[in-house]
Amino acid sequence: MRRVAVVGVGMSAFGVRNDVTIQELVWEAVREALDDSGLEQKDIELSVVGTVNTRGYELMPAVVVNEYSGLTGRGPLRVEAACATGSAALWTAYSAVASGQVDVAIAIGVEKMNEVDTATSLAVGGRAGNYLWEFHMYGTTFPAYYAFYATAHMQKFGTTEEQMAMVAVKNHKYASRNPKAHFQFEVTLEEVLKSRPIAWPLKLLDCSPISDGAAATVLASEDVARKITDTPVWIEAIGYSSDTSNFTRRPHYLGLEATRKAAEMAYRRSGVEPRQVEVAEVHDCFTIAEIMAYEDLGWVEKGKGGIFIAEGQSELGGKVSVNLSGGLKAKGHPLGATGLAQIYELVKQLREERERGRQAPLRNYIALSHNVGGTGHYAYVTILRR
Amino acid sequence: MSEKRYTKREGFKISSIPLTYKHAIPVSKTEKFWKGLAEGKIYATRCKICGSLYSPPQADCANCRSADMEWVEVPEEGVLVTFTKVYARPQGYEGFDPYIIAIVEAGDVRVMGWVMNINDETKLKIGSKVKIKPVYIEKHDKYIIGFYV
Repeated sequence: MRRVAVVGVGMSAFGVRNDVTIQELVWEAVREALDDSGLEQKDIELSVVGTVNTRGYELMPAVVVNEYSGLTGRGPLRVEAACATGSAALWTAYSAVASGQVDVAIAIGVEKMNEVDTATSLAVGGRAGNYLWEFHMYGTTFPAYYAFYATAHMQKFGTTEEQMAMVAVKNHKYASRNPKAHFQFEVTLEEVLKSRPIAWPLKLLDCSPISDGAAATVLASEDVARKITDTPVWIEAIGYSSDTSNFTRRPHYLGLEATRKAAEMAYRRSGVEPRQVEVAEVHDCFTIAEIMAYEDLGWVEKGKGGIFIAEGQSELGGKVSVNLSGGLKAKGHPLGATGLAQIYELVKQLREERERGRQAPLRNYIALSHNVGGTGHYAYVTILRR
Repeated sequence: MSEKRYTKREGFKISSIPLTYKHAIPVSKTEKFWKGLAEGKIYATRCKICGSLYSPPQADCANCRSADMEWVEVPEEGVLVTFTKVYARPQGYEGFDPYIIAIVEAGDVRVMGWVMNINDETKLKIGSKVKIKPVYIEKHDKYIIGFYV
């Protein structure tokens, strides 16, 4: 296995993007990533396109977005891992470079979610489990799945709705400083607690929005990276795992086993300890998800995630600075783009290129991304180091 | 409260040619489960070779690669493991009032279902005993698993 570096990142503005088609949206991210890397399309040997695209009219969009971006003939491979699709694209491109099959690859993630109405979007998201045994019979929704975890976590550990709301307050605060975020405004604890119920105990402002967006990451082998950039960001390891599609077959509802196993793999392969991570993007599709992530990623013991946020440990400059982009919660969560948008943010953090008020203080230059598909159906944990 | 700034960009649009899916789902290998609901019974499957239990039922044992399965009835009583009440309802469920979905542990298996006799979710407690029985849902002309606290 060869070392692999991130040599270019790009990201579109996230939000309601009814001004562009899927291919136009992708180009915003690919153009920035190419500019950032100093490379041209002819230098890219493989394109991996990650998209869930169950809401789109362009059912097989990989070749469409590839053509629009001038990458015809370079792949594309299309990958899907629900909301962890971006990380699955990263893993695929990373593996192609690490194995020596190619020297330069691009991972592209995209999702268009606002071309259909909200009820349709909920029905599609609610099928991200096991349609036959769950949605078909009980009308499960994506918020409902995370609400199952929230209910269990609250009753077992005493986690409160206020603690969950604190995650929203924190992430909106950082999103208000991020010009590419879907929501660029702050919210108060009271506003979160008073927002309308979506799936009890989760309320509207506990939930990530329905966003459009694209992100792209250019990867290169060590030889190439050393030639083209002074600031390579190294992928130290990518850990992955999964859990059952049938929710009833999970052993408990207090945390995500897939996250725990993916993190264990990433830490082991990189030799990095949880406490060494300085800045992280974690999968906060719902506020309870960020609280469980603190625990499952090893920053605090199981059950103490609510206390971790209440003590400010995940704030900028805390024990670990979490979701300085605004997270999925406020930056937005275009499924296929999310994993690569996390990489975009962390690469910018490690290069110390972020705006005032959301640049993490760094000493070890170690970052972690945590990207979950569905409700722990998939999990990827990536360790980056500058 | 700060000024609410969003990324929301609109523009000229055209309508797609609509695509409608309506699937005929082949459930012949779990037919006994679907028909059992109408007879008031809830089934899981157990592998006759290795004893693995499957809920929801499946026809093949991935553990020992056998297809030699037997049907077993899920107990009529169980314990509430977790729950939620769905307020934002998906397409296909717009006609329902907000509904409570729960996970219940019954003997060695877990089942998903709707809580039928309680409307206020804040009155529910994990660990409570529930009765489990199939219930007919007229709006969808289907049977589901119902829980009664």
